Amino acid sequence: MVDGMYGAQPSPGPNTKKCSPTVQKQQQQQAENADGGAGKKKKKVTAAQLRVQRDLQELTLGSTMKMSFPNPDDILNFTLTIEPDEGMYKGGVFHFSFAVNQNFPHDPPKVKCTQKIYHPNIDLEGNVCLNILREDWKPVLNLNAVIVGMQFLFLEPNASDPLNKEAADDLRTNRDAFKRNVRSSMAGGSVRSVSYERVLR
Amino acid sequence: MADAFPAVLTGPSSKERRYDRQLRLWAATGQQALEDSRVLLVNSDGTFGPQSTGVAGVAGVEALKNLVLPGIGGITIVDPATVTEVDLGVNFFLEAESLGKSRAEETCRLLRELNPDVQGYAYSKPVSQLLQDPNFLAQHKLVIISGPTKRSTLQAVCQEAKNLGIPVLYTHSVGFYSMFSLQLPAEFPIVETHPDPESTQDLRLLNPWPELIAAGTALGDLSSMDDHQHGHVPYILLLLHFIEQWKQTHAGKPPSNYKEKTEFREFVRSQARTNTPEGGEENFDEAVGAVMKTISPFELRSSIREIFAMDQCQQLKPDSPDFWIIASAIHKFCEENKGLLPLPGSLPDMKAQSADYVSLQNIYKAKARRDVDEVTATVRQLETQIGRTAPIPEREIEVFCKNAADIKVVRGRHIPLLSEDSDAATTKTIRGGFALDDRLVAIYVAFEILDAVVSEVQSIADTENGGDQLRLPNIEDEELWTKHTDRILKVLARDTGTDIPPEQKDILEDAMWELRRTEGGELHNISALTGGLVAQEALKVLTQQYVPLDNTCVFDGARSQTAMYRL
Amino acid sequence: MSTIDPQARWTYLYKALSKNGPLTDEDWEFGPETIATLESSKILVIGAGGLGCEILKNLALSGFKDIHVIDMDTIDISNLNRQFLFRQADIGKPKAEVAAAFVEKRVKGVKITPYVGKIQDKDEDYYMQFKIIICGLDSIEARRWINSTLIAMVDMENPESLKPLVDGGTEGFKGQSRVILPTLSSCIECQLDMHAPRPAVPLCTIATIPRQPQHCIEWAYQIAWQEKRKDEPFDSDDLEHISWVYNAALERGEQFHIHGVTFQMTQGVVKNIIPAIASTNAVIAASTTSEVLKIAASCNPYLDNYMMYAGEEGVYTYTFQAEKKSDCPVCGNLARKMEVDPNVTLGDFIESLGERAEAQLKKPSMRTEEKTLYQRFPPQLEEQTRPNLQLKLRDLVADGQEIAVSDPAYTIDFRYRLNFK
Repeated sequence: MVDGMYGAQPSPGPNTKKCSPTVQKQQQQQAENADGGAGKKKKKVTAAQLRVQRDLQELTLGSTMKMSFPNPDDILNFTLTIEPDEGMYKGGVFHFSFAVNQNFPHDPPKVKCTQKIYHPNIDLEGNVCLNILREDWKPVLNLNAVIVGMQFLFLEPNASDPLNKEAADDLRTNRDAFKRNVRSSMAGGSVRSVSYERVLR
Repeated sequence: MADAFPAVLTGPSSKERRYDRQLRLWAATGQQALEDSRVLLVNSDGTFGPQSTGVAGVAGVEALKNLVLPGIGGITIVDPATVTEVDLGVNFFLEAESLGKSRAEETCRLLRELNPDVQGYAYSKPVSQLLQDPNFLAQHKLVIISGPTKRSTLQAVCQEAKNLGIPVLYTHSVGFYSMFSLQLPAEFPIVETHPDPESTQDLRLLNPWPELIAAGTALGDLSSMDDHQHGHVPYILLLLHFIEQWKQTHAGKPPSNYKEKTEFREFVRSQARTNTPEGGEENFDEAVGAVMKTISPFELRSSIREIFAMDQCQQLKPDSPDFWIIASAIHKFCEENKGLLPLPGSLPDMKAQSADYVSLQNIYKAKARRDVDEVTATVRQLETQIGRTAPIPEREIEVFCKNAADIKVVRGRHIPLLSEDSDAATTKTIRGGFALDDRLVAIYVAFEILDAVVSEVQSIADTENGGDQLRLPNIEDEELWTKHTDRILKVLARDTGTDIPPEQKDILEDAMWELRRTEGGELHNISALTGGLVAQEALKVLTQQYVPLDNTCVFDGARSQTAMYRL
Repeated sequence: MSTIDPQARWTYLYKALSKNGPLTDEDWEFGPETIATLESSKILVIGAGGLGCEILKNLALSGFKDIHVIDMDTIDISNLNRQFLFRQADIGKPKAEVAAAFVEKRVKGVKITPYVGKIQDKDEDYYMQFKIIICGLDSIEARRWINSTLIAMVDMENPESLKPLVDGGTEGFKGQSRVILPTLSSCIECQLDMHAPRPAVPLCTIATIPRQPQHCIEWAYQIAWQEKRKDEPFDSDDLEHISWVYNAALERGEQFHIHGVTFQMTQGVVKNIIPAIASTNAVIAASTTSEVLKIAASCNPYLDNYMMYAGEEGVYTYTFQAEKKSDCPVCGNLARKMEVDPNVTLGDFIESLGERAEAQLKKPSMRTEEKTLYQRFPPQLEEQTRPNLQLKLRDLVADGQEIAVSDPAYTIDFRYRLNFK
């Protein structure tokens, strides 16, 4: 940033115009999409709504996932239900609330597990540790990417970077004991004196 | 980031709360420097013609506003003018009730309302009278002069400021254009330049010290680690480990050129485990990403070498500023440590277990501490040698060591005045700009012509004092413009022996056309923007943080562009 | 105060508006007409904070006489280092009102109308009254909202419906200003990827392997607070709340031997504080108001369309033309007018879309702002919206209302304004 930035910009570039067209003048040059009429008072579909409408349409849910919309007109808030058909969490029914704000897709959706479950990557408050929900979120990612990531958490719980440290330690040190803990927690039992919600189908 | 404020359970003081948003930039030390500074604004020194008070001085007033708000110690406004209706159309720090009163006093009063902690002084007389008191200028840490003004005044202030080592900002704002120059002392050192943290990581992977080597060796056999351990080895240790492996098959040499580094990077990548739930390992990703940036031998920047070679560093005197004593000690450190600088000691965040990260961080911190101690010992020796009694505070040496790789010395220049005395480098820069259709350099030249015209108008007014006011020329006098344009063009032709070609003269014509639209008058927006830029430079100079302008900036408000020139 | 002669007071401004320059348009009518246009232009300022205070001052001293300002915030002590229209005694009062009153008092003859509230409180009729809208905001969300609102207002048959948007933003020694001509030039949404995402640390790092003091702070307010004080909403302005988080973070730092948690850092992390200084605000605000003056008076070309500024090392700016994105979800596809029979069913309407010449929408999903009309996927929502297919358009949408349509066959979405036959 020292020498290169001295002096004026190399060329005046497209940013200077010899004359200063008025706004109206410019506008005459662009005549397409002509439109008029009533209805100005009605609110426009927001960018976030539009993006979610598209994202929903492009979802691939498979047989293990369902969504429900408490208010079908509000597509920014919904529940995702995952029923893993393989892996250690098979037989469970897991609910996640999705809250998408108006700053989507600049902001990621907020996802929380609504049940108290025993899982290394989900804490007792329902917080979910999934990279694309936080540090690796990019506006080009869509809801499908999130849902795929969520599903993966149940097939391959990740012990290496946990939110529930006890569960992760169990998974790491004794996989069989962890499996037993998953079964009993899903049935509404206690693990290490923490009681969990029954989530079996 | 500032971490100088002690944490208090009751929360920060009201002063800390008031200044919170700026303390996060220049910290308590920068704030203290500001509070210890008084700034002088020389706001007008003569007319633009009959019935004109000359410069409205809004750019300078706006600059003061931007210094009063962050809590500068004090301001002094020198301005012999009285408030007219014209002022009310451009200067926000005047009100209807100010009409007919001293502009200096009214502006000062309304500026002080912004911050009760700031002292304010106003003088309704020409600065030349005030300069007769040898203590006047010396009370200030910085001078801002509103141009255009007559050469004699400008030069008198600049010369005395130079003698006292006080920086000067000379500003202009006319119509849609503005420009300003910064005059710094011959050497202006900066320790805290605030470089981009991303660009300045000194991790010493190719110059590790014994403790760091030991930490790398202690890793042992990576393949015997379980997945959890393997996925949490800090990438710095991974790289150290793999560099050692590489050396064994490469005649003891680390990867040294682009091709080798690329190969090495692929090698690191291949060592990651992929049978993990995420299908990879974040610490290995970080290691791969860091290869190109961090696997390079430490090299002293040429700017630092130049600083070490300067007389001020080579020949210390009893009154040498702290900067040069510490620089000299670091030079010695560098010579005794195979060309290395003291280790900054900071470690970027990386995937790792808390305890492993903290212990690695401690290895870096401990080494940095030892380096500071070594430099401090040298500083103390130097202090004894030169017979200095008050020791340099430890904290200062520490900050210097942390920033050693990024220190800077700006070689101050005079306020550039285009004249027969201008140096060849200046005329060359300007001619080069003209040849490239650089419209901003033309604006600078147009301002120089305006300056010359105003200087002549004001000088005549001074000699005609009490005479026939209506006979005075004004700044719209075409003869004056032609005369000074021709003179400046001659200056620009002097060194090449060739005139500026006619097509290049057009850009000067255009610049003068635009400049003269308001007949020397200011537009508030342009002055406000300029006042922001000028204050920004003042803050950098007063806090001795960040890197100030070297030395002239032009703003083109018609094209929304700026440019910097060293003139 | 009628004693101030406007001709004398605005001497310099009037000169700039009464002479042409090398860059002014050849048929620009300078002089009294331009001056009258300028003085009658109604300007809206969004935000009365660091930029807003400067903007109000600058507009008032650029000859504008009818200025409106919106801001929902009240004055905080940490504003006083730059928001120069506010004093210690104003703390707690609404920014818009204090700022408006101050400038009105200082610059006689200017009228400034404050509105204390959100920009979303206002509808198109409100925004339609202004000639130019100028933003000094710190929220991306608010910028996106006003951007899409102004774009939706554009009616090509009515030139007055196009409201230039001039936007400024700062962070420390850096900033940018930009001019947006809704639908004609690159918009805020087109430029969204120029906003750096807020850096985030993985939740699991915060939960289990903290390494930095910031991780300890995030743990304290994201995890510890939830566990220990679940029922109290966290308020970042409540000193007791911040102190609690600070102490929890300190404790966690000790536990992991992590040093450097400070109160100041705690506030910074929790409130996502962005450093702000008067000088940068002055530069960016003046740059934006200068563009407003040029747009309103045509006295020089306006910025086309982006200027970035960095002041850490000397004075650096870069002026360039940000690109208009053809697939921009906001300005890429403007609402088209469509004549519809209000008595057809939604099902028949959807079928007719598949037969349209310009875009054959075979599998569309669609909605209005308040209603999901038909969503093809996921199945649960399809089931919930299927009954709408039997309903008549008149029962689902209002005359002139806009619907947004997505179809997997197109990467871009469509907007139609349905006008009843």
